[in-house]
Amino acid sequence: MSQTFSRAFEGIGIALDSLRASKVRAALTILGVAIGVMVVIAMASAITGINRALERELESAGPRTFFVQRFFQGGLNISDGSDELSPWRKNPWITVNESEMIRQLPAIQEVSIDESTRGAVKYGDIDLPSVGVAGFGPAWVYVTGGEIVAGRSFTAMEYAAGARVAVINDKVAERLFPGLDPIGKTIKIFGQPFQVIGLHVAAASLFGGGDEARLAIPHSTFEKVADYWKGWMSISVMPVEGVTVGEAQDQVVAALRGSRGLKPAQENNFAILTQDRILETFDSMTSAFFLVMLALSSVGLMVGGVGVVAIMMISVTERTREIGVRKALGATRREVLFQFLVEAATLTLVGGVVGMMLGGLIALAINKLTPIPAAVPLWSVVVALLASIVTGIMFGMYPANKASKLDPVEALRYE
Amino acid sequence: MSDLVISVRDLTRSYEMGAEVVQALRGLDLEIRRNEYVAIMGPSGSGKSTLMNMIGCLDTPSSGEYWLNGQEVSRMGDDALARVRNKEIGFVFQTFNLLPRATALHNVELPLVYAGTTARERRARGEEALARVGLADRMHHRPNELSGGQRQRVAIARALVNRPSILLADEPTGNLDSATSDEIMRVFEALHAEGQTVIMVTHEAEIAAHAKRVVVLRDGRVESDVLNQPKAA
Repeated sequence: MSQTFSRAFEGIGIALDSLRASKVRAALTILGVAIGVMVVIAMASAITGINRALERELESAGPRTFFVQRFFQGGLNISDGSDELSPWRKNPWITVNESEMIRQLPAIQEVSIDESTRGAVKYGDIDLPSVGVAGFGPAWVYVTGGEIVAGRSFTAMEYAAGARVAVINDKVAERLFPGLDPIGKTIKIFGQPFQVIGLHVAAASLFGGGDEARLAIPHSTFEKVADYWKGWMSISVMPVEGVTVGEAQDQVVAALRGSRGLKPAQENNFAILTQDRILETFDSMTSAFFLVMLALSSVGLMVGGVGVVAIMMISVTERTREIGVRKALGATRREVLFQFLVEAATLTLVGGVVGMMLGGLIALAINKLTPIPAAVPLWSVVVALLASIVTGIMFGMYPANKASKLDPVEALRYE
Repeated sequence: MSDLVISVRDLTRSYEMGAEVVQALRGLDLEIRRNEYVAIMGPSGSGKSTLMNMIGCLDTPSSGEYWLNGQEVSRMGDDALARVRNKEIGFVFQTFNLLPRATALHNVELPLVYAGTTARERRARGEEALARVGLADRMHHRPNELSGGQRQRVAIARALVNRPSILLADEPTGNLDSATSDEIMRVFEALHAEGQTVIMVTHEAEIAAHAKRVVVLRDGRVESDVLNQPKAA
């Protein structure tokens, strides 16, 4: 054990010596490995950040809330406008009546409809050209989460009357009313006057606000004033306590199929999205992303590996005499092989560590400059370090083997 | 245990140089006892380098037998030879062959690394060996910070550190001026006086005169094998 250690240290020592002796050469060699590792770390931390933001978002909506939508397809949708490539066309729109029907089901506590678009918002001289505007049902705060920190949300009465009232989020408040109390002010949305009645803060996250300026108005009002892409209303559904999410979903599916007159053999012409399902879909997207990343970084490691072969071949040639001396002093073939492999692995490990630090810096930059809470996951550190060591050993094998097979007499005579 | 350290019988070694076969050793016999101080001489092409490589277990014979300390070395494989070199042979080279970026102490410790000695013991024995050659105050110097004579003494300390059966020196003064050569010869004489077996390959009669026995090779055989008369004062 201690023998292996002292021989490994000897190898690490040789590696660091040769690093010091030819810094530029070594730096160029490990560049490929460093870039490969950097890509892995940066991407892994970005994806971890996006996942984390998504989970946080879903949790803020209450972990049991699920969604009824016209259509759901994971990944990218590419459509040329034909019916075959636009499978959502055969699904009817979700309606307000359906949301009322779902609300009446015994397993359902509360629902909120949700339809949204972007539009211009004005207050005095301040003009925000693109604010997220959502039309919600009256129970939206309860169902989708977040908190009213000042004022109130709209009432069922206001909802029923299609009142011109708006609940803005903190980002809208900061921009429209710097230093002022927004409650009671009149703003223009889609050119129509609305009274601000409340300030809502969503849990900070990637998709649900955070940095984005958003406001909520009654859905009934939204239908009248908003310019939006019709047919994409969704319903957020919160089951009652003591009922599983599965049971609640079954009731919703049965009710919708009944009211839409679907025969037992027909497929659902609507989609139910649970948070698990959303996460799953997202996971399958990110894993595809991951494969691409893995391929890219393997190319980086390969390039680095070829560099390792080159520098190690030079190193073996330059130190032929030294190898002869080591053999004369009693190094066996295996010990010479081992020491050169340790040298190669040390080189690539240094590259890996450099790449990790660069990747970490990129993750930090993503964290600071974008809403994605990027974080370097531990597994990516382990994978990156292992991959760089394995690269060194794999590509160091040929030169190390060459060194180990040198004839000591010839090697000692080498000038 | 026999007093015989080296016993070589009917040793031959031939090399293929392209189409030609060169006979470097042609049936050589030699015996060396414990605590002898032997110089091996001969003109170039006489086979003395080949013999040194054989004695040093760096090379194996084409035929014949080589017994080192009761072990038949001539039949051993590469790894066994490496172990024998590590334990039984202390090499001193003409060009010192120190690792340039390692300190004197680390250079001396190197054979112990391959012997699997613990770090603490390596250090103690390395320091002891350096003290023995009078370099206790130069342990942490690198070879380029040392004079030629000091470098050769580091190499001698490295050769001694694993307590080998024989100290095998190949033209140990070939790269040194005459004053430094004398200094190195005095180190060899002192080691011999302490009981060390010393074998030295040289082409300089002056250097060979320091040994107690001189073996002269010619055409791959022993031409003469005589004891040196003690030098007149």
